[in-house]
Amino acid sequence: MEDEAGVYARGVTRAFGPVQALRGLDLTVPYGRVTALVGANGAGKTTLLLILATLLAPDAGEIRVAGHDLRTHPEAARSALGWMPDTFGAYDQLTVAEYLQFFADAYGLTPPEGAERTRELLVRVHLLELAHQPVHVLSRGQKQRLGLARALVHRPKVLLLDEPASGLDPRSRVELRDLLRSLAAEGVAVLISSHILSELEEIADRVVLVERGATAGEHEIATLMAEARGLWRVRALEEEPLASALDVRQMPYRRQETGGLDIGPLTEREAAVLLGELVGAGARIFSYAPVGGALESVYLAMTEDRT
Amino acid sequence: MTVRGMLLVARLEFRTRLRTGRWKVLFGVWFLVVLVVSLLLRGAVTTEDPSEDGVEMFGTLLFFVLLLMMLISPALTAQTINGDRERGTLAPLQTTRLTPLEIASGKLLAAWAVGLAVLGLTLPFVAWPVLEGDVDPLRGVVCVAVTALLIGSACAVSQALSALVARSVTSALLSYLTVFALMFGTLLLFVLTMPLVTAERHYGTGEDAYTQEVTDTRRTWWLLAPSPFVILADAAPALPRRQVCSVDDSRPDDCYYENDDADVLGWIGREVRQARVGPQNVRESYEEHEWREESAPAVWPYGLGAHLLLAGGSLAVTARRLRVPAARLPRGVRVA
Repeated sequence: MEDEAGVYARGVTRAFGPVQALRGLDLTVPYGRVTALVGANGAGKTTLLLILATLLAPDAGEIRVAGHDLRTHPEAARSALGWMPDTFGAYDQLTVAEYLQFFADAYGLTPPEGAERTRELLVRVHLLELAHQPVHVLSRGQKQRLGLARALVHRPKVLLLDEPASGLDPRSRVELRDLLRSLAAEGVAVLISSHILSELEEIADRVVLVERGATAGEHEIATLMAEARGLWRVRALEEEPLASALDVRQMPYRRQETGGLDIGPLTEREAAVLLGELVGAGARIFSYAPVGGALESVYLAMTEDRT
Repeated sequence: MTVRGMLLVARLEFRTRLRTGRWKVLFGVWFLVVLVVSLLLRGAVTTEDPSEDGVEMFGTLLFFVLLLMMLISPALTAQTINGDRERGTLAPLQTTRLTPLEIASGKLLAAWAVGLAVLGLTLPFVAWPVLEGDVDPLRGVVCVAVTALLIGSACAVSQALSALVARSVTSALLSYLTVFALMFGTLLLFVLTMPLVTAERHYGTGEDAYTQEVTDTRRTWWLLAPSPFVILADAAPALPRRQVCSVDDSRPDDCYYENDDADVLGWIGREVRQARVGPQNVRESYEEHEWREESAPAVWPYGLGAHLLLAGGSLAVTARRLRVPAARLPRGVRVA
């Protein structure tokens, strides 16, 4: 069962001098799913990704990437994993196509294979028109997509992404999300680290919370969302019937200056039941949605517990 | 380690560095400098025998070229590893199937090739005295080949420093210190150790007895060997000695041989060989051949050997430093 996961890590520790970056971290990244790595700055996310990318050796712990033990077979693991760092190291003088072609060569693809794969990836990350432009003319979002294409050049079974969404405009984020979802659908094990929690909700299936170098929890996003209690913002054509319907049910609410009432905290199930009652009571509701992300509230609640 | 991987990295280095176009300006400036120096040398050198002008120009020009190449070479590699680390371009390379040795040797090859291209620009001027017939072609070829190897070793050493030191400014500085130590530190050390090997010697007996200070460098000559100037000068094949005959026609047989004064390289070569064999073993000679090879063996194989060992060691150190997963990191180094 263990080897069915793209990444299997148990008890990973790593210190930099006196600083203990990881203290016994456990992680499982199944194939065909997107797992999010969530934690505060300095929680050890980047260190963990560097270790998984075979760049950094752990002090202790057992790690297998695509079934290859990192201690004994880092080369085999390297061929099976794609890694996208948080900073895009640009070779400014290369064109977009040359950049990908080089990495195709470096991963041992034959030149025709590499050329075909380069074209395929450029189409996939929407950079085909820029194929013959030098890398330095690309925008941040375009560079990010090129970095992702580079990480995919050798068709890895495991994809590791460090803060891929940072600094991206909304359009690029949506495209990144669609791309990662389609990769997961193809069976790739995707691990993505991020601070932007509301976004992970849409991208990830699972979330691993990391705190001070250790795993603080592994959850299915769907379950989290169902169990999480959050505030819900309700908007109705007329506020008064809505407010009195809430008063009758002794449901606490707060009026928002921007319009609408915030009610809760409620789980999804509770919110759905309440909605039916409110509509039945004659409230003409046109909007009923969670405030902020469920993941964000869970994360904040969890980190609060621990401090 | 495959040749394919090495060439792949070398080609990448070439494309990323050469496309900036700045090299064209640098190459142009370099060519002009060597041109001006050659013309000045040619004009400044006036010996009694015009055929010696070429010999003197050749030696001086080669020393000048060697000096400048030793200043350029560290700059070619002093930032290849830590500079790439700072730019974040090294780690993606390390996660591919390229081996550390392929990355290290590919980068070195590219830098060395640039150094050789710069050296190539000086070839017309080096060839000038050779084409005029003043300098033996073999001497020309040997001198250029030795310079080429020395460029490679300087590149390798400063590349290793860039792999060892976190900041590129520091590694560039250390590279220059190393090259200067090899060029001038060796000579300085040799001179400073001379009092240690100088002793009073007593000669003769009775009333003829006298005392003389003798410096015996048989134990310190090797200090000179790693100097690029010494290697170049000693490796240059010796010129034939010049025959000098008495102007007095009454004694036509009274001819002797002497060394060519204009031959800077030959003079240095003879001096270091003399340092190796010690004070008593070489005497002034007026024969056609001053000494036989076995009586004054060459110094340059030791120097060149030391440089090649240094280069090989540097390449190994660089490759070792590029090995991932990294267990320990030098201070201040981020993997990515």
